[in-house]
Amino acid sequence: MANERKLGLFSAIIMGLSGAIGFEIFALLNYAYFDLAGPSMISALLFCGIINLITMFSYSELSAALPTVGGEYTYTKVAFGGFISFMAGCLRWLASVFGGALAAVVFVNQLGVLFSVFAPSIQDLVLVNASLLIVGLVIILIFLSIRGVEEATTLIVAAFLAIFIIFLAMSLGYTLTPQNIVPEASGSSLAVFFATAAYIFPMFVGMRALVAGAPQIKNPGKNVPRALMITTILLTVVYFAVAFVAVGAVPLSMPRTAEDPPLLNLAASTIMGPIGAILFALAGIIASVSSVGTAMTVQSSILGGMSRDGYLPKVLEKAHKRFGTRYLAIIASSLFVIFFGTSGAVEFLGYAASFGSLLVFALVNLSLIQLRRKMPRLDRPFKAPLYPLTPLAGIVMSVLLLTFPVILRDVNAESALLSSFGMVAIVLVTYYLRMVKREVDFNRIRVAVGGICFGVGVTLIVLTPVIVAPSMFLIMILAGLVSILAGIINILVSAHKID
Amino acid sequence: MEIRSILTAIVGIAQEVIGVVFGVLAVMLFLDLLEVQTVFNMPPELLPLYLLILGLFSFFSIISGFFLIREWRGKT
Repeated sequence: MANERKLGLFSAIIMGLSGAIGFEIFALLNYAYFDLAGPSMISALLFCGIINLITMFSYSELSAALPTVGGEYTYTKVAFGGFISFMAGCLRWLASVFGGALAAVVFVNQLGVLFSVFAPSIQDLVLVNASLLIVGLVIILIFLSIRGVEEATTLIVAAFLAIFIIFLAMSLGYTLTPQNIVPEASGSSLAVFFATAAYIFPMFVGMRALVAGAPQIKNPGKNVPRALMITTILLTVVYFAVAFVAVGAVPLSMPRTAEDPPLLNLAASTIMGPIGAILFALAGIIASVSSVGTAMTVQSSILGGMSRDGYLPKVLEKAHKRFGTRYLAIIASSLFVIFFGTSGAVEFLGYAASFGSLLVFALVNLSLIQLRRKMPRLDRPFKAPLYPLTPLAGIVMSVLLLTFPVILRDVNAESALLSSFGMVAIVLVTYYLRMVKREVDFNRIRVAVGGICFGVGVTLIVLTPVIVAPSMFLIMILAGLVSILAGIINILVSAHKID
Repeated sequence: MEIRSILTAIVGIAQEVIGVVFGVLAVMLFLDLLEVQTVFNMPPELLPLYLLILGLFSFFSIISGFFLIREWRGKT
C-alpha cells in the first residue's frame, strides 16, 4: 500500500518538536547543573545543538534520498547490509527502552513535586511507592498501546511552548545574570563539559521522529531537510533560553536540600510562585506519560520490523486480532522499561539513553559516507554541506561524548556503559544464533567480528594515553594495532563474499 | 598473495596470544592472584568495568584470531 503524503513543512516541524520537547528537560538539567558543569551547562546545551545540527545534515540527505519507512534502520541496511542495520535497530531500541524507563521515573518525581505544593503527606506516599507507581503506569500504558490510542502531540507541543514562553516572559521582571556559562579552558573543565553534553544529549534526539515520519511528508526532498534544520535551531534557542533563566533563578550558591524539586521546577516556583510549580509539575507529568507511551510504541515497531526481516523470532511480529497492534512486542519491551524504571536511577538512565543514541548517530554518519561511495548516482534532493567534513565531525563528536564521562570516572556513566555493553553482547549472541540457524553466511559474522576488532583497536589506541600507566603504554598500543590490522584483514577477506 | 598469507598468520597468532593474555589477566584480576589489583593500583569500584573490557577484548581477539588462522591454514 502506498504511503499517503499529506503533511506540509509546518506539520513536519511540529512532528520534530513533538518528538524532541518532552520530559528530558525536567530530568536531565538537574544533575548536569548541580553535579557536573554548573552554569556552563548552558554552553553544553549549545554544543549539543551543534552536534545535533551536524548529524541532522546526514539525516536530511539520507531521508531525502531514501524517504521510506524505517529511518536509521533503513539507512544502515542500504549502506552496510544485515549486521550493521541489526545493530542500529537494537541500539535504537535500547535507547528507547532506557528513555522510556527514564520517563517513568520522571513521572513519579513530577507527581511528587505536584503533591509537595499542596499535600506533602501524599508526596511522601508517592516517593515511598515509586516502584509500584511505575509498574502501574507501564501496565496501564501497555493496555492503551495495545488498543492503539492516538496521542494529541500537537496539543502537547503547543502547551509546552506556551508554558515556556510564560516562564521566559515572567523572568523578564528579574535581573538574571548567570556567571561562568563558558567553561574554563583547562583539561578537567573541558572533560566535565563534554561529559555534561553527553548527559543532556537525549534532550535533542527525539526530533528523529521527523525522519520516521518522512513517508507522510509532501515533497520530502525539500520539506524534511528544512524541517530538520528549523526544528534544531528552534529547539536549541528554546532550551538555551529556558536553561539560562533557570540557572539565573537558582544560583549554585542558593542553599539546597535533598528534598528540593529538580532545577526547572525550582526555577518555575522561584519566578512564577506556586502556580509555576503546579504548572511545570503538570507539564512534566503529561510529558513523561506521553513519552513512556511513545517509547513503547517505538520499541514495538522496531522489534516488529526486525522480526519481519528475520532477525528476531516471528512471534514478536504477531498482531492483536482486534486492534492490529504488535501486542507481544509491546509487552516484551515494557518488561525492560519496568525493570530499568524501578531502579529509579535518573542519572544512570540519562547516560544509558544517551549512549545508545550517540552510537546510532555515529552509524547514520557512517552510512552517509558509505552510501556516497557505494551509490554515487543515487538521487539526492538534498546534499549534506561540506562533505565529508560534516559526517566525520558527527562521528568524532559522538565518540568524544561517549568517551569523556567514562574518562571522568562518573560512576553513573560507567554503570550505563556496562549495562549497554551487556545488552549489546546479548544482541550479538542473538544475531549469531539467528544467522547460524538460518545458515545464511559465515562471512557476515566474520565481517562483524572484524568491525568490532577494528573499533576496539582504535578505541584502545585513543584511550591508552589517558587511562593506561606509562609502563603499559607500548603493550596496549601494540595490542590496539594488532586488533586494527586483524579487523581490516577480516573485513577485506569476507566483505566481498557477502551478497 | 604470499605476503598477505604471512601477514594473516602473524596477525592471527598475535591476536590469539593477546586474547589469551588479556583473558588470563581478567581472571587474575577477578581472583586477585599475585595481588594484581594492588600492582595495577585498581580502585575496587572500577573492577567490574575493567573485567568487562578485558573480557570482551579477549573474547573478540580470540574469535578474530581464530578466523585469521583458519584462513591462513586453508591456503597452506
